[in-house]
Amino acid sequence: MTISDYLVTDDLTVLLGFIGVSVFLLQNLYKPQPLVHPILLGRQSDAGRVRHSGESAVYRNYGTGLMGRFPVRPDKDVNVVTDFVKPEFDAPRTLWSTKITNAQLKARVSAFGSGIATLVPEGSTVLILLNDCIEFVITDLALSEQSIASITLSSPKLLARVLEMHPPDAIITDNTFLPHVSQAARDARNNHKLIVVDFLPPRFSETARVMYSWQEVESLGKVPQTPKNAPQPGSAYTVSFFETPSGGMRCVQLSHENFTSGVTAIKALFPAAINLSTLDTIVSSHSLSTPYGRAIAYAALFEGASFATLPSTSVYRDGDAPALDVADILSVTKFPIPSPTVLFLKPEHVQSLTSSVTDRAKKSSFIFPLAWRHKFAGLTEGFLTKDSLWDRTVFGSAREDVLGKMADTVKAIVISGGLLPSDVLVPARLALSIPLINTYTHGSATGPLFATHAFDLQMLPSSSPAAEPAHAGAPSVNVEAKLVGVNDSVVEKGADPIGEILVRGPSVGNMLAADGEAGEKNAWVHTGEMARVMTNGAFKVLGSI
Amino acid sequence: MAYILDFGTPVNTALLIYILYSVQKIVFPSTSIPKTIPSEFKHGYSWMPKEHPPTVLFKTYTPKTLEPFSGKDGGRILLAINSIVFDVTAGRNFYGPDGMYGNFAGRDASRGMAKQSFDLDMLTAVDQPLDKLQDLRSDEIENMKGWIDHFSNKYVICGKLVENDAA
Repeated sequence: MTISDYLVTDDLTVLLGFIGVSVFLLQNLYKPQPLVHPILLGRQSDAGRVRHSGESAVYRNYGTGLMGRFPVRPDKDVNVVTDFVKPEFDAPRTLWSTKITNAQLKARVSAFGSGIATLVPEGSTVLILLNDCIEFVITDLALSEQSIASITLSSPKLLARVLEMHPPDAIITDNTFLPHVSQAARDARNNHKLIVVDFLPPRFSETARVMYSWQEVESLGKVPQTPKNAPQPGSAYTVSFFETPSGGMRCVQLSHENFTSGVTAIKALFPAAINLSTLDTIVSSHSLSTPYGRAIAYAALFEGASFATLPSTSVYRDGDAPALDVADILSVTKFPIPSPTVLFLKPEHVQSLTSSVTDRAKKSSFIFPLAWRHKFAGLTEGFLTKDSLWDRTVFGSAREDVLGKMADTVKAIVISGGLLPSDVLVPARLALSIPLINTYTHGSATGPLFATHAFDLQMLPSSSPAAEPAHAGAPSVNVEAKLVGVNDSVVEKGADPIGEILVRGPSVGNMLAADGEAGEKNAWVHTGEMARVMTNGAFKVLGSI
Repeated sequence: MAYILDFGTPVNTALLIYILYSVQKIVFPSTSIPKTIPSEFKHGYSWMPKEHPPTVLFKTYTPKTLEPFSGKDGGRILLAINSIVFDVTAGRNFYGPDGMYGNFAGRDASRGMAKQSFDLDMLTAVDQPLDKLQDLRSDEIENMKGWIDHFSNKYVICGKLVENDAA
């Protein structure tokens, strides 16, 4: 047979030819596009050109740049904390269980402020020992307006020490914690006034203490009293005590500017496609007694979004802490808030959520391995969506079974308050299919210190033999960071610097010494945690020293 | 089917094999991750640059150790104003050996910056103590501070200058 006999073509050839061409085009043109161009992920922070011996260079967010000014307020009119409640915005929104408009909130804040101004003089200190509720927010804003300093604690173990070293003029607490407070105050031989949320307990006889109920103080303020001096953005109005991992106590002084910068940093976490607006409902797992938790609440206030916190944020409770898992997240549905859209969770919540959704999907569908494989292939190209075919068949129903109505409305999750293990990252991305923003926060700062790009889907293996946590991204828009305790000879050869993180910026508060002396303004703050900088400018936080 | 697999029509067979292979790639996509992280974004989405951006270590210089950095050997060019050492290698046209201000390379240029002069008599010899600048007028000090600002914005501050015996 000749060559021409071999190359015989007929109608079937034409058909197969068409199919072949269309398959070829499908394969090559239908490649998923990455959500963010990989070139941007190769240079996430702007590094200084000079470094001192034993330190790394100073790193800033690439968008801010080394020469840029730090953004300190989300809007030009927001100078003090009470400006977060915008008067021109008049739609009601729900804060925990209270539906309230901005005007009503402002009225309650000034009423409580005037009320408490009749009880304690200006320049005194008030200790707030409340779990998260609307009364906490009103108290905090009222005290800031009246220039009365407030103190918050991140843990009840610090109460005894604080009462001893910095006795307050008044304590605000609630019924469940009242016995502990009285006991601790008796031990410290304090003489102060007590304000209690909810009802006053009937048979509570205290001789040296004067007690008021919270509602009483609010009604005392029917006659508005304006403070002598209007609060300034740079003036400190609250002090927060937090525990170090080794059990020591540290103290940070925060001003209005720290909180406006913190809210700016939190808003900057969300790119334009998923930014915060009045249509959002924010749920947080960080207590308002911590600066970061309060900044999240203020961000919700500023945006006009509804807000609630998870039960695990309660600092002052009887009994054990609730587990950080899916049940904790679901318990927020008992508040009359609209379905949550943005969740600020801890790594344990995300781990629990991922394993629940994945187990559910595995059990309910036999094409789970194929769906997983397809989504993973998309992830290697940097693409992820909630509306793909595989979500509609496999993952969507699993998410709905686990989260209920929330599964449809949640558009982003911010992970802070711990180290996220790197082996959870890929399963979490595939199971939840929404932007997961991993951040690093510290008790001394109101905003996140490091944050990943919302659409960053890179899968970078660990650089050291041991498993490292997932990276926390570049410094936040108004933070600069450097590492100290770095091995010079290793870094000069080109290895990654590893050392203790030091941060500075408008969202980092002023650390106080043990006796209450303020440090110099804008000093570097030692966070007490180690990190490594990668070549693309992202920081990987490794844990405490 | 047998008609196609009959090797009498190899074109059809080849096309069929190609179609089956491509369909298999589409329905079962590859999930392999490369063993080494790519160092260019063109080679993969999960990539990392090979090296950190270059940084200079902040050092303490004396007039004697600063003098070699005059760019004559094609190396870095450093210059000091008011005990701040600047790396002016980027301005080789000005401060290199054949540049207009080449006199200042590797030396303490404070007096020259203050008095706006590039003469050699503005420089002190390297084995002498540092120029105290005490006899300068206040407007000359202001001029020198202006130059320090200009240099801080344009060049990298990479060290400080101390006396010969202090290092």
